[in-house]
Amino acid sequence: MSEKRTILVIEDEHAISNFICRALSASDYKAIPAAGGKEGLSLFFSHGPDLVLLDLGLPDMDGLDVLTQLSDLPREVPVIIISARDRESEKVRALDMGADDYVVKPFGVSELLARIRTTLRRSDRMKMSQGIQRDVYKVKDLVVDIARHQVLQGNVQIHFTQNEFKILELLAIHAGKVLTYDFILEHVWGPFGSNTSNQILRVNMANIRRKLHENPSEPRYIYTELGIGYRMLED
Amino acid sequence: MELKEQLQRSWRVLAKWFLRIPPVPRGLTATVFFLGCAYLISHFLIGHTGGENNSALVFVLAVVFISLLTEGYIFGLVASVFGAVITNYSFMAPYDEFSLSQKGYPVTMLSMLAISLVVCALTSRVRQQAQDAEARERNTKLLFEQNQKLNEEKAAIQLQSAQETIRSNILRAVSHDLRTPLTAIAGTASVLLSTPEVSPRNVAMLQDIKSDADALINMVENLLSVTRIEDGVVPLKKREEMLEEVAGDAVLTLKRRFPLGNVQLELSEDLLYLPMDSMLIKQVMVNLLENAVRHSGDTEHIVMKLYRRDDWAVVEVRDHGTGLSDEVLEAIRDGRPLRVGNSADSTRGMGIGLSVCQSIIKAHGGFFEAENAPDGGAVFRFGLHMEEVPMEA
Repeated sequence: MSEKRTILVIEDEHAISNFICRALSASDYKAIPAAGGKEGLSLFFSHGPDLVLLDLGLPDMDGLDVLTQLSDLPREVPVIIISARDRESEKVRALDMGADDYVVKPFGVSELLARIRTTLRRSDRMKMSQGIQRDVYKVKDLVVDIARHQVLQGNVQIHFTQNEFKILELLAIHAGKVLTYDFILEHVWGPFGSNTSNQILRVNMANIRRKLHENPSEPRYIYTELGIGYRMLED
Repeated sequence: MELKEQLQRSWRVLAKWFLRIPPVPRGLTATVFFLGCAYLISHFLIGHTGGENNSALVFVLAVVFISLLTEGYIFGLVASVFGAVITNYSFMAPYDEFSLSQKGYPVTMLSMLAISLVVCALTSRVRQQAQDAEARERNTKLLFEQNQKLNEEKAAIQLQSAQETIRSNILRAVSHDLRTPLTAIAGTASVLLSTPEVSPRNVAMLQDIKSDADALINMVENLLSVTRIEDGVVPLKKREEMLEEVAGDAVLTLKRRFPLGNVQLELSEDLLYLPMDSMLIKQVMVNLLENAVRHSGDTEHIVMKLYRRDDWAVVEVRDHGTGLSDEVLEAIRDGRPLRVGNSADSTRGMGIGLSVCQSIIKAHGGFFEAENAPDGGAVFRFGLHMEEVPMEA
């Protein structure tokens, strides 16, 4: 890569911020640390980073407020949330508010770097496609053909119900991004879908998994984000 | 002085006892008794003092007592009339005959009746006021006691909630203050591991640092979970989950920490969708898997199996290692906590992990058991109750 990608790290814990920045530098990113929300926002405007790592538990302002201000901007910059393990609802809110992904403390370096790579790639692809949807999505040997409304696994066609296909289609279009239960329910079952029980989605997903011979302990296509939602592996 | 006090006290006791009788019999008794007394005294006086007698005064006194000890005006009124009539009849000449013919008798009769009535009215009012005052006093006392009790209860509740706040604050602080540096240690070690200029000897040391930090992180999670559950400070966050998703996540977590461990997840044909605190159940699975990887002596053939047995969703973790000692089996069967670090070094840390599993499953109302498989290796099994939720899909 000709130019280093810039990543803004908004994290008040010095020790965590330090090792994240070191890990980023070691992986050839340019890391800019910010110890608080206000500093983070001002550094965001002065440096124009390619991605933001945002801790939700900041001392000077609510991490979700920082996220709101970032997502109100015309320039779309992907945001990865850093959050504590026991605050699921906060994560879900952040994802619904436009965050692209999240990592849970304590997290490993390789996991963090993998998520950053995925998110950056996804954002690049979005910019290039200018929002034009593709007709065919591929994940390993799985082909989701939206135009023809069919799914092939290693050239064998697999039959899905209407809703199962809609779920797969939605996950494929947003491949690499975590989709919350409510987001999927709303897009598959209509605007009042999030009022219906989670169960309908979970059962559909269990059936999809069985049809794809997908074991959740060795996911090939679909990752489970426990208590939050699902994510399809990107191309 | 002492005599007066004694008299007062015995009067109070007597009056109290007397006042407990229902009003009508009490009134009748008092009326008859005091009129009788007045009659006897007058009779006695007339024997000693002759014609000039004070029987009218004696009867007025009787009316005072009757008014004091009876409810309302009726008895005093009746006693007044009786008193006047008896005085006239028995203690004024001509004796044993009712007569108003003598000069001045009607006036005496009427004035005696009038005095009796006034005394009766006054006494009744005094009595009423005394009763009111007493009632007020009783109410005030009752109010005061209730207030005091309420205050005590309030103080107790405040103390309890303060203790709970302190405890959950400490929990949060501990979790934050331990996790943060441990995350940083493990993270920094892995950053160093990925830099090319580290010598092979240092690589091994860094790997040790990383895996120990990871183990400590897991230990902190375990301790926090068990404190959380056993204090009952934080209730279980139960929500319906697909068991296979929780299990898949647990296996992935384990593989991240022990890349060499080979774990198979066998799914159930049934959809096991049931309420649970998924973070805690995942921790039980991670603990059992870690236990198998670290202590069984066989990291190659670890199987986690999900199935349905009657109304239970069952999770079974099986290894093909050395199996469990009788001591461990017995402790688990009795639901006793395992003694930590009892025998060989290989069981280090096993006790805490299994105790946490037992507590979490107990809090879920499930069962937890362990046995040695006939063909070798240990089997841990736990079950959660399936609550029938109608399938909509």
